[in-house]
Amino acid sequence: MTILMSESPPVLEKDLEPLRPWSKRPASFWLAAFLGSVVPLAILGALYLTTDLAVALLLIAFYLPLQLIGAGLAGYFAKGKHGIADSAIIVFAIGATALSAIILGSMLLTIIVRGIAAFRPSFIIQNSTYISPSTPLEYGGIGHAILGTFLIVGIATIISVPFGIATAVYVTEVRGRAVPYVRFFVQAMSGVPSVVAGLFVLTVFILTGVLNTSAMAAAIAYAILMLPTIARTAEEVLRLVPEELRTGALALGSTRARVVLNVVVPAARTGIITAILLGIARVVGETAPLLLTALKNDQTVLNPFTDPISALPTFIFDNVAQPYPDAVTRAWGAALALLIIVGVLFTITRFVSARKPRR
Amino acid sequence: MLLVSIETPMRDLGKGKKANVGDRIFNRTITGAAFTSLIILAGITVFLGAKAIPVLQEQGLSFLTETMWDPLGVPPEFGIAGMLYGSLLLAVIALVISVPVSLFLAVFMVFMAPPRVSKILTNLVDLMAAIPSVIIGLWAFYVLVPPAQEWQQLLNQYLGWIPLFQNESGNFTGTPFIGGVVLAIMMVPIVTSITAEVLKRTPPELVNAAESLGCSMFTMLRYVALPFGRGGIVGGVMLGLGRALGETIAVFFVLKLVFDINFYQIIESGGGSIATLIVSKFGETNGEYEVNVLLASGFFLFLMTLVVNAIANLIVARTDRLKS
Repeated sequence: MTILMSESPPVLEKDLEPLRPWSKRPASFWLAAFLGSVVPLAILGALYLTTDLAVALLLIAFYLPLQLIGAGLAGYFAKGKHGIADSAIIVFAIGATALSAIILGSMLLTIIVRGIAAFRPSFIIQNSTYISPSTPLEYGGIGHAILGTFLIVGIATIISVPFGIATAVYVTEVRGRAVPYVRFFVQAMSGVPSVVAGLFVLTVFILTGVLNTSAMAAAIAYAILMLPTIARTAEEVLRLVPEELRTGALALGSTRARVVLNVVVPAARTGIITAILLGIARVVGETAPLLLTALKNDQTVLNPFTDPISALPTFIFDNVAQPYPDAVTRAWGAALALLIIVGVLFTITRFVSARKPRR
Repeated sequence: MLLVSIETPMRDLGKGKKANVGDRIFNRTITGAAFTSLIILAGITVFLGAKAIPVLQEQGLSFLTETMWDPLGVPPEFGIAGMLYGSLLLAVIALVISVPVSLFLAVFMVFMAPPRVSKILTNLVDLMAAIPSVIIGLWAFYVLVPPAQEWQQLLNQYLGWIPLFQNESGNFTGTPFIGGVVLAIMMVPIVTSITAEVLKRTPPELVNAAESLGCSMFTMLRYVALPFGRGGIVGGVMLGLGRALGETIAVFFVLKLVFDINFYQIIESGGGSIATLIVSKFGETNGEYEVNVLLASGFFLFLMTLVVNAIANLIVARTDRLKS
């Protein structure tokens, strides 16, 4: 309460006028609520059918003000003048929700509908050797890009998981003096733009000749982006491990290292898997680092050190701007494949984290 | 004898003679690994900075204040002011669009929707955050741009007397406005999920007290929920801003890069973005020097996002401390 007093402006008496929520709502409220929701829609529909004004203009210039007036009247009859602000908030809140839902729905629907046009077994299996943007869809596919994504993400996972979990263990188990600093640096690292991670790998490994433009170089860039996600999520799940497990194991005579390795980390394993999957989901669609460190390759590459390699994001990137419809359809197909991977990761994390932690 | 209690921090266990050797090795290893993030941040600063210094020496301060890209000139001249300004302009447009939407969405999720709807919305927001930027860019390029052109024409038609909505070329593609809208779409899930988290932590007794005093929803939000969550919300917005500044690919698809500074005509074709510049120029560089120039640009992008994120984290950390 003290915080509230210090942070908020004083609540004025007129704002605290009682509203009598127990009193029955008058008939005028129900009338206004009904008319307020039907009339704007009717006017919107009528204008849409009779004039050829743009939908965006109709929505913003006609529907929104009418809806606000309608809801405001309903709010006024229900709760007096406080009701007007309330009803405006409700209109804007539902509007914002609907807007976001429409955008997400449009995205998912477009990718599924336009991506399915490219999907066929050969599209998933084959690579794109000898395929030009104008080649019909029956030939060539994204097999090499899917393998490339798995290879790069796999290596990035192997690199980043030990460091990420070690960081989390340092914060929750070792509890050293540098904990605030380590947390600050992890936070700062989570803000590193993906293109900067790519430039870093380019400078340190590729321009110096240590690595070729290859899956390995791209994996290091991905690992830099994954590390903070894994560290922060793993930290949160390690905190959930009950303190009794630690004290119990110590009382049985195990060393601190054994407590962490054999008791705490295994107890949090589902959470740690979630952390790893979230890290993968964070990077799987990143394009900018690949453009700088892996370039592209139409052939299947399995050696992570030698050759440039394509992955799904770079495949999409290369095919979007082509003036051939088949190339664009391939891009949508690759986008659908990427979306499926993201969707599977997302579903697994929801499923895993929804389960009650075992005691 | 070394007294060990459960409160003894692990770091002190490694000190006494009785400490287990395994524990000591374990402590050292974990402590070393925990500093990876520091090493990488320092590495980025040092390596990109080392590339940026010669470029700055050669180009002088005009690298940051001029607008030109002349890799073949003698001597080659570069200036990224338009790109730096363009990144900020895009971020501001994205901010103006996404913050109100995110706030109302979060208020709806936390205070209005029934629990089941709220849960579904949380999942949808998280799903939106998980969609890769390249897919958002692809969608924006083919689905969003055509109607967005129409919106901009309308803006120009009815509000063209405001300098902000001037357009002389009649070309409404590749404008900062579209870039800002795309960034806003990417920011909304980030800002919403943080805002919703913060609003959920409003002590229920305060909300109930406000309601029993007869506060309306508006009064409750204005005097209880928003002041309580202000720090967290501002921090969330800043984190979203950091993401918007560094976003590359989605902007690449919808923005026409021009080197001249487009100061305020947000629906005029052409704008700048430093992250997009790096990717679009990298494939066609003329020699090592231009690569170094791109690395220097990346260095300034890194500094910009680092500052924004540091401010965001300080705000969040300060309000966390106030509350606990």
